[in-house]
Amino acid sequence: MSKNLILSLTNFVRSLERLFLPYGGHPPALALPGFQHEHSSTSNTNRPQEFSLKKLIADGMLWAVPRHRRSVEKRLNRKFGYPEYVWKPLKVKRNIRSCQTCGHDHELGVLCPFCYNKVLKETEQMQAKIQEKLGLDPVDKEVIVLYEGEKAEQTAEQLQGKRIVEMKKPRPMWFTKNLLQKSTQQQSEAKEVKPSDLA
Amino acid sequence: MHTVIRQMSQLRLQAMPSSALLKATASASAPSALDHSGAPVNHHSLHTAAGSGGALCASWNKHNNGPRKWLVYNKTVHPPQQPDEEPRKAYVCHMRSNIKYSPDKMWYIAAFVRGMSVDEALKQLNFVLKKGATDVKETILEAQEMAVQRHNVEYKSNLWVAESFVGKGRVFKGMRRHARGRFGQVEYKHCHYFVRLEEGQPPEHYYQEPQTPEQQYEHWLEQMRSRKVINSL
Repeated sequence: MSKNLILSLTNFVRSLERLFLPYGGHPPALALPGFQHEHSSTSNTNRPQEFSLKKLIADGMLWAVPRHRRSVEKRLNRKFGYPEYVWKPLKVKRNIRSCQTCGHDHELGVLCPFCYNKVLKETEQMQAKIQEKLGLDPVDKEVIVLYEGEKAEQTAEQLQGKRIVEMKKPRPMWFTKNLLQKSTQQQSEAKEVKPSDLA
Repeated sequence: MHTVIRQMSQLRLQAMPSSALLKATASASAPSALDHSGAPVNHHSLHTAAGSGGALCASWNKHNNGPRKWLVYNKTVHPPQQPDEEPRKAYVCHMRSNIKYSPDKMWYIAAFVRGMSVDEALKQLNFVLKKGATDVKETILEAQEMAVQRHNVEYKSNLWVAESFVGKGRVFKGMRRHARGRFGQVEYKHCHYFVRLEEGQPPEHYYQEPQTPEQQYEHWLEQMRSRKVINSL
């Protein structure tokens, strides 16, 4: 009975070895058929049935094993964190406000995601339309985007060097014309350029 | 129909929902799991997480639909109250099973939401940057909907999260390679999320009230005095 037990145990360990360490720990680097790794061929022919538990341990499989049981204080600290350093439970955010335009919530100092997404979608549509018209042309002209039922305010001469893109939908309520005005710097009329302004 | 009759007959015994009585109604839970298919909000009759494919789909998972006892609390029929008694607060128990998320990680979100009013919980969950937060938010919204439509709650804002906890779900094991011919085991964890919403304003302190130094001293004194001196008269 004991002999059977020992046999079954050794067989189990050998099958474990084969599972976790195929090729005896050294898989062939160059896997060509008919090519045998120099180390493995010699070791295989010399010791086919050797019980290499020592090799297993020498390889470091059982290192880095815990020596002592973690105390409950340590465990709780890892779970909950330290109030002075890293606090793991989630903290209630006090900087949430509701957007005055749409009513959705957003963090203080951050644009309302709902309003931003609305603008983003519209921009994407405009960009798609512009790209349609542009094709493979170089991007060298100013683009004027017109919505349904709109006419360009500039005269024909002013519009000559510009690309007109017409969107097939009515203008969104929030997209007023004065949004496109440059509010910071006016375009200069002077023809002379100061040397410091070159390049 | 027979499930309702069985519970009505237990009316006299049921002073309050106790676990011993609910074990008897657990046998009724198998057909009760299908009752929710008529709900407008629940698109899954078995409360499994949406988008669950792979090994959790119906063809592989028919024998394991997840926990069933929690939802039985919704069906308990309480005895009629005396006119001078305070009206019992309405509550609704809801759950979502087999969410593809680790239960340990889900615990932080469940503990976060505990004791909050429903509006506050939903607002805060929008800004929790964790995968489980979407499932928790959806579960709470569904529970709110159920409370208003079927559990006699008048205002959907007049609810607070009375209980919120996580259970371990299915775990599938796999292997991954490491260097030097070693292999590691990988666990694909799932969790169940349970929530109970109760009508009314949330309490000031969900757990214990913070104790004053005097109260702490009293408590310590009590403990010291209640010690037993062994081998004494």
